[in-house]
Amino acid sequence: MANIRSRHKNYTILPAGTNLFAVQKVPLRLRTLGHTLLFLCFTLILLLPLLIAIWFGVTQGGSSSWQHIWDNRLVPYTATTLWVLSLTGVMILLIAVPAAWIIARTEFPGRSIFEWLLVLPLAMPGYVMAYAWGDLASVAGPLQSALRAQLDVSARDYWFPNVYSSGGLAFIFATTLYPYVYITARAAFLGQSQHLFEAARSLNAGRWSVFFRIGLPTAGPAILAGLTLALMEAAADYGAADFLGVPTLGVGIIRAWSSFGEPASAARLALILMALAASLLLISRYFIGNRTAASNARSKTSQTRWHLSTMHAGLVILTLSALLALAFWVPVSRLAWLFLEQGPGTRPLRPLIESTLLLGGLGTGLALLAALIAALARRHKMGVRLALLAGYATPGAVLGLGALLLLSTTGLPLAGGLAIGLLVLVYLSRFTYAGLEPLLNRQAQISPHLDEAARSLGSSGWHKFWRLDIPTLRPGLLAASLILFVEILKELPATLMLRPFGWDTLAVRAHAYATDERLAEATLPSLLIVAAGLIPVILISTRLSESVPKEDI
Amino acid sequence: MTLKHILFGSLGCILAACSPADTGTSESADVESAVPKTLTIYSARHYDSDALMYAAFEEATGIKVNVREGKATQLLETMKAEGANSPADVILAADAGSLWRFQTAGLTQALESETLRTKVPAKFRQADSHWYGVSQRLRGVVYDNSQWTAEDVSTWQALMQADKQGEICVRSSSNIYNLSLLAEMIERIGETAAAEWAEAVQQNMARQPQGGDTDQIRAVAAGQCSIAIVNHYYLARLSVSGSETDRDAAAKVSFAVPDFGDGKGAHVNVTAAALTATSANADSATAFVNFLMEPQGQTFLTMETRELPMLSGVALPEGAGVLPAYAASQTPLSIYGEHQVTAQKLYDLAGWN
Repeated sequence: MANIRSRHKNYTILPAGTNLFAVQKVPLRLRTLGHTLLFLCFTLILLLPLLIAIWFGVTQGGSSSWQHIWDNRLVPYTATTLWVLSLTGVMILLIAVPAAWIIARTEFPGRSIFEWLLVLPLAMPGYVMAYAWGDLASVAGPLQSALRAQLDVSARDYWFPNVYSSGGLAFIFATTLYPYVYITARAAFLGQSQHLFEAARSLNAGRWSVFFRIGLPTAGPAILAGLTLALMEAAADYGAADFLGVPTLGVGIIRAWSSFGEPASAARLALILMALAASLLLISRYFIGNRTAASNARSKTSQTRWHLSTMHAGLVILTLSALLALAFWVPVSRLAWLFLEQGPGTRPLRPLIESTLLLGGLGTGLALLAALIAALARRHKMGVRLALLAGYATPGAVLGLGALLLLSTTGLPLAGGLAIGLLVLVYLSRFTYAGLEPLLNRQAQISPHLDEAARSLGSSGWHKFWRLDIPTLRPGLLAASLILFVEILKELPATLMLRPFGWDTLAVRAHAYATDERLAEATLPSLLIVAAGLIPVILISTRLSESVPKEDI
Repeated sequence: MTLKHILFGSLGCILAACSPADTGTSESADVESAVPKTLTIYSARHYDSDALMYAAFEEATGIKVNVREGKATQLLETMKAEGANSPADVILAADAGSLWRFQTAGLTQALESETLRTKVPAKFRQADSHWYGVSQRLRGVVYDNSQWTAEDVSTWQALMQADKQGEICVRSSSNIYNLSLLAEMIERIGETAAAEWAEAVQQNMARQPQGGDTDQIRAVAAGQCSIAIVNHYYLARLSVSGSETDRDAAAKVSFAVPDFGDGKGAHVNVTAAALTATSANADSATAFVNFLMEPQGQTFLTMETRELPMLSGVALPEGAGVLPAYAASQTPLSIYGEHQVTAQKLYDLAGWN
């Protein structure tokens, strides 16, 4: 490994102006066609469940119920979704960007612990967070009960922030999804050139001005990439929004299915969600423009951090602790309390843990492979990316529907390996994009000349793949596998629909209890999901923080 | 390296773990052979006590049970997708409206059993024996007994009155219990009156619809509202909860069973079982539904859910003693399914989220 790394360093000292792209731009026409076909197949297979669902929606929909949804519900659903997403976006930026900056650029006692503690909420599924905060902050919950007892007032006499609202849902999304932006922003801040900061300091720029005029603009693309991921995840949510009673498009999709008995209308609504997601991506592309992270070619990134004064350090520690309390410790403690109060259910948990880990492992492995293929593609990158994005923005239930329609063409029962195959296919459709984004982000940081240099030195195919692509992408691969594993672990609707007999996962069971309004019983599987998610989160986030400063190329 | 291990590990385990599941589905061929009989149940219920119920049935009959638990709407799509090869023998779902959907999709068949017809009152089974109600669930009103009496909420229409302004808590309209309630109302008092009811109740709400039925009861106990529309068993569960706060909440409220102002009985729903159209194990399926209608089966069905037993003479589950006397209406239960779409449209138009 050390040997490979030192060789990369050699490549990077190629003069910045050398453009070897030109050489590669005269491909054989036949080969291009082959590549195009190959990628078309690759994308088609990944998106099969989605395409079938769309086809079904377009051809089978259009009944009077669809007309009713179109006339009366579409605008409210869309408006609510946009409002929740805007609130979520603002909250995430306010939480994640300052946190990432402080962790990356300042030094204070406990910094290295906070560095990975801040990733923990990623292990909390949104719906579990909604259960916990819904219980804590509801009118009959411990917070408001204590407040009433203290002030001796009736439940109608005071104002209290309502978690069962658009704002509450945005809070749940922000606290569970901010790590996406925190991870990408921190990596970007760490990767920024020290020279820039030194120059700014020598011109007497203050810390705030350094942040707003240098730190923030150059990290912009990375922040936007993380934010897009987080918002798309929020857009496709059903569990949290449904629990909190916020009529988003995600809820409307399931409602079209359950109340009107029309999966086709559900698929049609999902199309609108996809359009929304695509515009999100295009908007973020517009803002990023050509300003990719690779353009800030760094000669020196060794990090000297500002030491905070005792008062500032205290303030920072207090704020970060409060954030972590809201996003992790308080809800987890509440669940643990409920569990201890009521005791566990009678069903054994071991099979749940086993199937959760197996499905998570298998799904992560294959999705990572698919993401890697998409990332290493030299052509049609944007096309593949947009296609995968459509999958990511589609609620799991709609993809599950597509998989069932696929099943109906085989005439086989939903069982055994076939069921698992379909489920994993849905995981791929849904999550490959989430694995692709960190890889692309990493690629953008690597000088394109490295790749060209390797080619010009005759390295290609498998050799180049193992000796160059994999090692240089390693931080991206780690981040991708972390995100994929946690995502699949938390995945609910498709797993609920497609799992074979005896393959209940922790998420399935937690949801089953919660829909029966037995939150206490739902707590143990919920806590186990969090625990299972924590292990890779901690493992990978510590390795990430080790790898970033050392592996700068 | 670790990733590889996970991958290979999972592949191996999946291959190993799939084999028993595979055999479970190819059971259809066994007729009177030495191979043990099997039964595959698609259930929209997911209680821990159900696992005990299936185990007791296996114990009593030697028939091996496979269960797929999921949402009724999704199980329905699964069965449609599986078509003629669906392994499902029995559908178990917690709302007559759901069973109606399975039946209209052609996924059920008549289960002819004189025993069942005797045990399940005509009102609680489908006229052509396509499904049988096996336990009862009541949708009624929980009220703050320091503010109201049972008389104040003796009809559903009473919730429209001006004195209930700002007093009502209820969950969102897409919930099947609310849909079935409005569906019966449409049948009993007509679509226009039902639409007016939904609008008036929406106007009288203390807060936007949110949470589940349990949350509504807790909100009444906490004083945010004084009337909540809920199913009886949520109150029963709170009254025997392991949490003292819950038991206190249950003690502060009373349960009423309103009728529709015509004195013709209350809105009662069922958990029901059906024989699938493609079942190759009709005998086992019949045995299972019969088992549910025996005292032991009734106890397993209701012990954790705290629904009401269908069979008279079976002890009520603990906590269900809070119910007043009631008479079920004579509206055919399939109405809940037939009017479900209209009900959702009326709720949507009333602005009842």
